[in-house]
Amino acid sequence: MPILEVNQLQKSFGDIHAVQGISFSVEPGEVFTIIGPNGAGKTMTLEMIEGLVAPDTGEIHFGELNWKQHAIEIKKKIGVQPQSSAMFDLLTPKENLDLFASFYDKARSTAEILEIVNLTDHQNNQVKKLSGGQRQRLAIGLAMISDPEIIFLDEPTTGLDPQARRNIWEIITQLKSLNKTTILTTHYMEEAEKLSDRVCIVDQGRVVTLDSPSNLIEKLTKEREVRLSFQDGETAALDGELFSNQLESVIRTEREGTSLKLWTLNPEDTLLNLFKFTKEKDYLLEQVSIREMSLEDVFIAYTGKEWRD
Amino acid sequence: MNLKQFKQMFFAQLRMTFREKQAWFWGIFYPVILMSIFMLIFGSDSNEEFQTQVAIVHEQPNQTSELLFTQLEQIQIVELKTGKPVSREQAEEWVKEQEVSAAIVLPESGESTSVELIMNKEDEQSTSTQAVSATLDKILHQANLAIVGATPTYEIEYVSVSAGESNLDYSDFLLTGMIALAISQGGMFGMVDLVDMQRKGLIKRLRMTPANMSLFGLSDMVMRLVFSIIQIILLSLIGVLLFGANLYINFASLLVIFLIGALSFNALGYFFSSFSKTTEAYMGVANILSFIMMFLSGIFFPIEMMPDWLQPVSTILPLTYFAEGLRDSMVYEVSIFSSSLWLGIGILTLWGICAYLLGSWLYKRKSLVSVR
Ligand SMILES: Nc1ncnc2c1ncn2[C@@H]1O[C@H](COP(=O)(O)OP(=O)(O)O)[C@@H](O)[C@H]1O
Ligand SMILES: [Mg+2]
Repeated sequence: MPILEVNQLQKSFGDIHAVQGISFSVEPGEVFTIIGPNGAGKTMTLEMIEGLVAPDTGEIHFGELNWKQHAIEIKKKIGVQPQSSAMFDLLTPKENLDLFASFYDKARSTAEILEIVNLTDHQNNQVKKLSGGQRQRLAIGLAMISDPEIIFLDEPTTGLDPQARRNIWEIITQLKSLNKTTILTTHYMEEAEKLSDRVCIVDQGRVVTLDSPSNLIEKLTKEREVRLSFQDGETAALDGELFSNQLESVIRTEREGTSLKLWTLNPEDTLLNLFKFTKEKDYLLEQVSIREMSLEDVFIAYTGKEWRD
Repeated sequence: MNLKQFKQMFFAQLRMTFREKQAWFWGIFYPVILMSIFMLIFGSDSNEEFQTQVAIVHEQPNQTSELLFTQLEQIQIVELKTGKPVSREQAEEWVKEQEVSAAIVLPESGESTSVELIMNKEDEQSTSTQAVSATLDKILHQANLAIVGATPTYEIEYVSVSAGESNLDYSDFLLTGMIALAISQGGMFGMVDLVDMQRKGLIKRLRMTPANMSLFGLSDMVMRLVFSIIQIILLSLIGVLLFGANLYINFASLLVIFLIGALSFNALGYFFSSFSKTTEAYMGVANILSFIMMFLSGIFFPIEMMPDWLQPVSTILPLTYFAEGLRDSMVYEVSIFSSSLWLGIGILTLWGICAYLLGSWLYKRKSLVSVR
């Protein structure tokens, strides 16, 4: 049984249709990522699920619980790191955690949380002196203090440097190993691909597609891009291009100087033939690569739009 | 009530207040600076008696005028310029040049019943001119009594205007005024935190938890009262030790007026916060109101010294009653059963309740209109 079920959520502000019918369900223990460009409606969707904003229409069920009848129970079950990651700047991480712990009947120990989010060394510095990454980790710590079953993280890595982002990925991985359900939003595709069990791509308030990252990529056309560059100058490259065009699986080619790009339905077969050809001709290849398909391609394929971070 | 939660909330509030340097600056340091400045300017020459120069025109001495002249000569606060009466032209000249604060023209015959007081328009509201006018009034009153054959049963005391005593009064007056001002500003400016918390999304963050928001509001209120108590104690100590103020406190009255006053001004701040989108907007409103009140509520000078047309404004401002109430309870030891104290309490309460209701209504409306 899904731990969270969302059905046809809609929310408008006058002419702005922020969310126009979003539905999905989340299974216990999964990392479920909502990804989409800025203004796609990710935050709005989360805020409706978190009970902050009433949807115009649609339903939200936490198992047997719903906001109308079980607000307090749901609040005890969920932990939230909002996009603004609001906290008390004049208090220390430890004091923030202690304060939030007092809101719940049962809470994890502050020391334990500080350990998990790697802030033990900074526990007595005022929050206003923390770096962006440390702040964000504390925000996640605050979401975890009540030991909730479901954790919502709204763009936890936006604006952080690569190291700080990796730290947050580690925390999310830990959450998964603790069997917590994590609902994450991001606009970094690689992050979604790396962390999520399932990804829900949204654009303009609608679900574009929803599946595991590998399924999503697999579902894309079988056409793959292969790149080769020739050491023996342009003639060799031209020769290679002419040869590739004769192969059945190759759809089209593109050449720029000594580097050749080709699109093929069967990269293994194409490469095998190409290598035979270069061996025969004694051409040396400098670089060979098959471009990996990513969620970015999935987004482009479904929306016809360029993806921008 | 969840005591553990309240305790955590209260200590969090307390810590934040102690770490907020602004709170200390505006709540304690700033009133002390203001108090020092005003004491230096208006309370400094404590040994010198208050004196002002006047001119007396005494062109045709007669019985009445002689009587008044000798009286005027004896009064210490008015000093005759050049020591003798002068001509009317000369007197008018001095008044025009502001070399004397007023000229008194004594009656020209026994039948004449009027004494003229010539003042410079620009000086009309100045302390010295007012003092001369008041003194003259008293003398004339006494003379009138003498003429109808009545002897005054008590001697009119001019000493009350003399410097030594009034200086003492002024430091008490100023100290209690400053305490009232500091507490009122604490309330009116302090609620900027609420705007800030909203802007940062902290209110929203707390609403995502099962935290009891009324408890959070209560803890905030209690913390503010604690801070105001610290203000009263520190400012009183400084006033008494540094500026020689004399306090005679009725604690029951003080407690009541303090609680009502502090709560009302916090309600006022709450009201400001309900319609301010940014902290800057909030500070603008709070600044204007506190500025107006600071000068119209008898903090630095008695309201009676203000122009007549402005005085009605003072009688509706809450700070007027808070300052008066604090003076009554801290300087005059007025008992809790005094009716004037309760009039002030009533008006303060009215302000507080209106501000609170209006603020709550605006907050409710806002949360219906926009959910963000
Ligand atoms: N309170 C509001 N009033 C008007 N428009 C809003 C409000 N909140 C969100 N929106 C609009 O709804 C859309 C979705 O916003 P949001 O959920 O924050 O996007 P995301 O989190 O995906 O970047 C945006 O176009 C935004 O401008
Ligand atoms: Mg967002």
